[in-house]
Amino acid sequence: MSTPTPSAKTALPVGGTDATLTYQPNVDIRDTGTEVIFDADMPGAAADGIDVTFEDGMLSVQATVPPRELPGRAILQEYGIGNYRRSFRLGEGFDASQITADYRQGVLTVRVPRLAAVRPRKVEVRVGS
Amino acid sequence: MPRLPTFHAGLTLPLEELREEFDRLWTTLTAAPPLHGWGVRHEAAFPAVNVGESDDAVAIEAEVPGLEAGDVAISVTGNDLLLEGGRTARGASPADEKVTWHRRERGTGSFKRRIPLPVAVDAARVEARLVDGVLTVTCPKAVECQPRRVEVRSA
Repeated sequence: MSTPTPSAKTALPVGGTDATLTYQPNVDIRDTGTEVIFDADMPGAAADGIDVTFEDGMLSVQATVPPRELPGRAILQEYGIGNYRRSFRLGEGFDASQITADYRQGVLTVRVPRLAAVRPRKVEVRVGS
Repeated sequence: MPRLPTFHAGLTLPLEELREEFDRLWTTLTAAPPLHGWGVRHEAAFPAVNVGESDDAVAIEAEVPGLEAGDVAISVTGNDLLLEGGRTARGASPADEKVTWHRRERGTGSFKRRIPLPVAVDAARVEARLVDGVLTVTCPKAVECQPRRVEVRSA
């Protein structure tokens, strides 16, 4: 039976102090030819605390996660709670003005469309009569 | 928008990226599940859970990003809580046949996890909430398991 990948948060955080841990979210990246789509697991993020930036061919996502605690004493602690941050190098040929980002059910989806000039194009072959 | 502190323009960039990638690999390699102790690699259970116990309830929290309320089933049998569900890949429909995957870290498939509860709970009053990919299950303790304050009477 295959199972979803456990959150990278069961590993050690990549940075931050004890007060503000920072984790790298797990991502899926798929390329449709006309756009590159990023899905990043960022459960518990505050919708207004998510930042997506694209600069010099580098896409960066980061999210602030409000602290939350279970009532009572912790009897099992398998993952940590902290902010998210991760960057990806995309290079040239993307239309920064058309990037969209949606946050739904703890997953951030960023769509980065290619410039029309660099999209794959199918060329019709004309048959001479 | 704020700039990331790790971002540097110019030649340092590929090195910075490489370093981050190594950091990521290294933390994954060196981190052992604390429950099982160091030096033993176990396949981590999904979903990872945090459990808290107060006087009147046991609360279980799990991160299940991408799941809708209907994708997860919760049941309580005796002193066990069972979490079941699954996640399907996005963009996996035949219409997306031209898709090239650059990274697939999120994983898909079904899961089933049994979480032993420390005390008997009132199964009829168990409540679950799913907000932004965080599932919280609150299990009120059975009345006989809740601490009872005993008045001391003086003669």
